[in-house]
Amino acid sequence: MKRRKFLSLGAVVAAASVLPASLSATDFVVTAPKAWEAATSKEAIEALFGSAAMIDGQIEIKAPKLAENGGAVPIGIKSKLELTTIALFQDANPRSAVVVFEMPENGVVDLQTKIKMRKTANVTVVAKGKDGKLYSAVQKVEVSIGGCGG
Amino acid sequence: MKIKAKLEKDTTEVKLLLTSPMVGKEEAALKKVEVEFITHVTAKVNGKVVWEASTGPFLSKDPYFMFNFKGAKAGDEIVIDTIDSKGKTETGKAVIK
Repeated sequence: MKRRKFLSLGAVVAAASVLPASLSATDFVVTAPKAWEAATSKEAIEALFGSAAMIDGQIEIKAPKLAENGGAVPIGIKSKLELTTIALFQDANPRSAVVVFEMPENGVVDLQTKIKMRKTANVTVVAKGKDGKLYSAVQKVEVSIGGCGG
Repeated sequence: MKIKAKLEKDTTEVKLLLTSPMVGKEEAALKKVEVEFITHVTAKVNGKVVWEASTGPFLSKDPYFMFNFKGAKAGDEIVIDTIDSKGKTETGKAVIK
């Protein structure tokens, strides 16, 4: 009896130790499917973050003014704020949402990635800070050769 | 998957190169290939999530990421897990230098 009790206890502990990891991982593709289907940045942002007021000028987007290869446009996101969720949108492709980054804690907002842009358009970053406020930044990127294949 | 993780003072810089065609539905229809793109990437150090990304098909082919975080030591192992639209998973590991 004791052994059985011990074993079942072990199973509970194992389940509990697995749980926090799965809880902290938010797959926005699953939790906010609408955001990934939205055609415009405005709709996608509303689906992910709601329509609360956003603060400008605290996030820096590092992108080329003129991108020669639309298949891989380097985008950098930098900020001194403590941001937990950072989403990247653009208006050059059939759907707007590109990627949503999350940094639970100890994150330093200095990110880089490469995106597809089939035409000249605005790139928008919207982020949620640890303070619960929303921050945003927009930059226009000119693309000379589209790379989406679309 | 290629991972480089370098510690500078208290910040770890990770450069990550994944392998995926990143084909969305529009591109798949045009090129007559299957939809295939990575949907989620997680980075963990010592079992703790330090960075994650929910990704769509408008990242470039073979997506590249660079990110930074604090709190790791040299010698710690960073584990990257990815899953794609077909449910295929991949795991990569690297030691922080």
